[in-house]
Amino acid sequence: MEGLRNDGRRWNELRRIHCQLSTSSTNADGSSYIEQGFTKVLCNVTGPAEPSSRQKVKQDSATVSCEVYFAAFSGTDRIKRGRNDKKVQELQTAIQKTFSSIILTHLFSRSEITISVHILSQDGGTLAACINAATLALIDAGIPLKDYVCACTAGQSTSIFDNEGASPDPWLDVNYLEESDIPSLTVATVGDSEKIVALNMENKVRIEKLEAMIAVGISGCAKVRAIMDKEVRRHGKQKLEAQGE
Amino acid sequence: MTSIKRMLVDPAGHDSITSKVYIRSAKSGKVTKIVREIYLRTDIPCSSRLCRACLANAPVDSNNRSRPFVLSEKPAGTTQFKHGHYLMPDTNIFLQCMDAIEHKSAFYDVIVLQTVLDEVKNQSLPLYNRLVSLTKADEKRFYVFHNEFRQETHVKRGQEESINDRNDRAIRVACKWYREHIGQAAASSGVKAPAVVMLSNDKANLAKAKSEGLDATNLDDYVKGLSNADELLDMISSSLQDLEKKANRGANVYAEYFPVPRMNTGVRNGTLHQGTFHTSTYNSLEGTVGVPSFDKHLLIVGLENMNRAIDGDQVVVELLPQDQWKRQSDKLVDQDTLTKNENADVDEVEAIVTEKERRALIDEAKRIQRSQNESQKVQPTAKVVGVLKRNWRSYVGHIDPNSVNRAKSGGQQVVFFRPLDKKIPRIRVFTRQATQLLGQRIVVNIDTWDRTSRFPVGHFVRALGELESKEAETEALLLEYDVQYRPFPKAVLDCLPSEGHDWVVPEKDAPGWENRVDLRDLLICSIDPPGCQDIDDALHARLLPNGNYEAGVHIADVSHFVKPNNAMDDEAASRGTTVYLVDKRIDMLPPLLGTDLCSLKPYVERYAFSVIWEMTPDANIVNTRFTKSVIKSREAFAYKAAQMRIDDKSQTDPLTEGMRILLMLSKKLKQARMDAGALNLASPEVKVHMESETSDPASIEVKELLETNSLVEEFMLCANISVARKIYEAFPQTAMLRRHGAPPATNFDDLRSQLRARKGLDLRVESSKALADSLDACVDPQEAYFNTLVRIIATRCMVPAEYFSSGTQAYPEFRHYGLATDIYTHFTSPIRRYADLAAHRQLAAAIEYEALDESLYNKNKMDAVVKNINVRHRNAQFAGRASIEYYVGQALKNKSTEQEGFVAKIFSNGFVVFVPKFGIEGTIKVETAKTYDADEYILELEDGRKVVLFDKVKVMVNVVKEQATGRRKTELTLA
Repeated sequence: MEGLRNDGRRWNELRRIHCQLSTSSTNADGSSYIEQGFTKVLCNVTGPAEPSSRQKVKQDSATVSCEVYFAAFSGTDRIKRGRNDKKVQELQTAIQKTFSSIILTHLFSRSEITISVHILSQDGGTLAACINAATLALIDAGIPLKDYVCACTAGQSTSIFDNEGASPDPWLDVNYLEESDIPSLTVATVGDSEKIVALNMENKVRIEKLEAMIAVGISGCAKVRAIMDKEVRRHGKQKLEAQGE
Repeated sequence: MTSIKRMLVDPAGHDSITSKVYIRSAKSGKVTKIVREIYLRTDIPCSSRLCRACLANAPVDSNNRSRPFVLSEKPAGTTQFKHGHYLMPDTNIFLQCMDAIEHKSAFYDVIVLQTVLDEVKNQSLPLYNRLVSLTKADEKRFYVFHNEFRQETHVKRGQEESINDRNDRAIRVACKWYREHIGQAAASSGVKAPAVVMLSNDKANLAKAKSEGLDATNLDDYVKGLSNADELLDMISSSLQDLEKKANRGANVYAEYFPVPRMNTGVRNGTLHQGTFHTSTYNSLEGTVGVPSFDKHLLIVGLENMNRAIDGDQVVVELLPQDQWKRQSDKLVDQDTLTKNENADVDEVEAIVTEKERRALIDEAKRIQRSQNESQKVQPTAKVVGVLKRNWRSYVGHIDPNSVNRAKSGGQQVVFFRPLDKKIPRIRVFTRQATQLLGQRIVVNIDTWDRTSRFPVGHFVRALGELESKEAETEALLLEYDVQYRPFPKAVLDCLPSEGHDWVVPEKDAPGWENRVDLRDLLICSIDPPGCQDIDDALHARLLPNGNYEAGVHIADVSHFVKPNNAMDDEAASRGTTVYLVDKRIDMLPPLLGTDLCSLKPYVERYAFSVIWEMTPDANIVNTRFTKSVIKSREAFAYKAAQMRIDDKSQTDPLTEGMRILLMLSKKLKQARMDAGALNLASPEVKVHMESETSDPASIEVKELLETNSLVEEFMLCANISVARKIYEAFPQTAMLRRHGAPPATNFDDLRSQLRARKGLDLRVESSKALADSLDACVDPQEAYFNTLVRIIATRCMVPAEYFSSGTQAYPEFRHYGLATDIYTHFTSPIRRYADLAAHRQLAAAIEYEALDESLYNKNKMDAVVKNINVRHRNAQFAGRASIEYYVGQALKNKSTEQEGFVAKIFSNGFVVFVPKFGIEGTIKVETAKTYDADEYILELEDGRKVVLFDKVKVMVNVVKEQATGRRKTELTLA
């Protein structure tokens, strides 16, 4: 009612985003931490390094592999997800496919880049947070990317603002409650462009509504990019200053 | 290495985010702690037209529109608040006084806080819905202020602070903010600021508010400052007024209910049973509960065992020991004779069983002991131990004149309210206007029914008008059956085509013709009851060159005009059906559509949805085609006119020939249906003729059935079945269908044993075919009407047909028992039934004419729609019947006649007589009967006359004013 969502946001507002780089510099080449609302994700990147197995060796490019770990305490119910869990596999594939096309893999033939994502807390938009965290960790590791990959979710609300024939608003950046209530999608774009590298949707929605959802999602991605870029620059500047001392 | 631990509060210092922590415990005993974010903002407007600052940064939605401001710049003042005031009620005010708040005369410019709205939602969903509809409607100017999301008014729960205290504080903080905010706004535009008045009945909260310098008052004081205080005060829930008295009440009249967990475990392990409570129509001291684990209903005898359950409540019952099992009472008992001399004002506890009730029960017990041997007729009895869900609603009735103390003018007194519905007990009502309300039809809500009170306690809602005035009685009837009869709101009328009555079908190939077939050259006509304005259907038939026939049914294309999810669609969905009363029609759709643009009127072009079959001369369907079309009806016939035209041999024009083909095919269709076992049931339908000048009922006639009635009916059935198959094929999970379950054989037990005893006949009930055949065999050579009488009684043994969405039942359950078809839906009357409109949309999607709206393939939404239209459909039927009954009463007023009647039911102290001529039935009570033979169904009267079940009796039909309902009713006496 009144165009406010259940957490007090309006239809086109992101949740609070907090991100950090180099969070665990000892055991990874690049690392990052991101919070989108109460969705909290930690990401470590190693590589380029010797591939862990023979199958992963590609003669002309690097292999991107991805591991996703759900902390058992991350959701409202305590659930342990194993390596072969369907959800884990899905996320791994989605992240791996996204970054294979973004990382300049041809520079690192016969090597492997591993992205490992730890999901500490889930409050909607898990895939989006994972992709954002991976982008930051890859930047932190100094692996050449075509551009930022930023992801955001968008949902299609069913509540009607008023009854003068207006269609219900699309909602940006859905939280867990909204995600379980309304159809939503995750969209990831490259840099400032509106080029979509990943689009994932697990519900059914009327085809007419899709365009508005994607458009809102893309605008969300741009905002996420700005926040991430600011943090990268701040972090870089801090590092340079530290080196200068 | 950087630490990644963060505090919730943003380091930047603006506490624009906070979190809500709550603990949820599941039924399984699992406890989860949930933390959610709350984003606090400063752009939530105060929505007062005085305020320019809020207007300047009012938020917009995705279509770049913002909401208009609600609260008036010059709100009404009272004696207390001279410069006008905005009201800010707390939760309990809404919970207890919703009826008063909805009243037209007061309670304007109300600020509903989010805190309050949420609390109302948790406490009572129906009240929440009423409150939401108030905030949506413009006229009362209710504004929902999201205080929990506004930075200044968000309140964090303190340590040791209870939720209620926190919410009270939130209301005070919001009130304070509003006061300052409005003050500034008013100052900047140079007017006196209206007061922001917190309304609460909580003394502690009021005191705190006053100490903080806020305007706060309790409801009583506030209402007393208004002009119609007495009326409004009566509308306030009596639970509030009764509060002090309750404390010093005496012993309990009824047993305490079991705690909920005990009921749940009991039901789960089978020691207790759950079901819906129904009061017996003939005996107000007796009720039944149907539970799944028994195939017969459980009997509840006596008020003590009924333990405050009211007809329709969801109850939990416990079986009584077998030595207390009884047979169903065969006595007539009504509240009237039992509680005639009681005083509503008596507050001390009365004995639960009054002397008269006790005597009635003892008589009953004796009777049972006498007939101990017939153990098969003894039914298990039970007592109510808890009520899971109340079925309380608004009740229409009048104040019992005997309970009013006329000497006491002014001041409050307690009176008895008698509901029209005899199954509902009398209600004690506190009122200040007892003498004014005498002789009025009024509406009352039940508030509580305490253990200490013999009757439920309620409060006055509103008066409808004089008893027996036509307007009041019609409105009473509509309210009683929950029919929405208010004029269509503006939002609905805005959905109509802007051309109004000038709308015409556009030129061929203009927009609107896409995928429509031009059927204007077909010779189509409609056949309806005389004077019909909303013509849903039209027909045509012609001979094809290959010797087969083409027959077509054309249905008004309502779905072209009523698009899903707009205001008109919502209104139609909630109305569900058009309700036909004797002198009035309550439309489902605005009359512009129903009687003009959609109605398939003759001589003009109309959009239609057509079902066209190719049939062999034996009426076997070779091919079925569905299409949206444009038609032009050649003529609108009444049944009788159509019959005459067909019978008139001299007419040989193609239109008449087409009708003859239709008639020929319909007879074959009917035969095929009868062979499959369709039932031919009877209902006592009569029609009331109104005198056109005075609109007083003038005469009553029994409805006549012609061949043309059956012609139309057969083709409509055929169309419905064809459409049902098509939409089920396209949407196996959510097709809108209609089913009619087979009645359980036990429903016929009484009728069968009566027929066996009286006439030596038997009914076979194993299938609809067997039932149809054995009903045909139920004839009495001496009495032609006997067969119809049995059919009427058999109809009452059936279960009602219902709408359902196909995913909720297995295919074999789709069967329509009465029509003997495996699948059925309603398609042919979209102007007056919402189910048909839904079927239209699904069929349109099935033939790929247009996309299907989400609500029609979403299972949950379909279930909600189906549930509502089932209720509406049933209520519409009841309302229609009640209207006829009322007008029959009016028509026979002052005309005492002797009529033939038939004994339809027999009791040890009375019997029910059905009078076919007027379609009425009435009970005749016999004070003293000589003998009663329950096996042979013979009652011997004192003067030696014998009343025998199914026999013809002469009765006097009189019309008397019934004490219990204040309504004129036919009364029968033995002639």
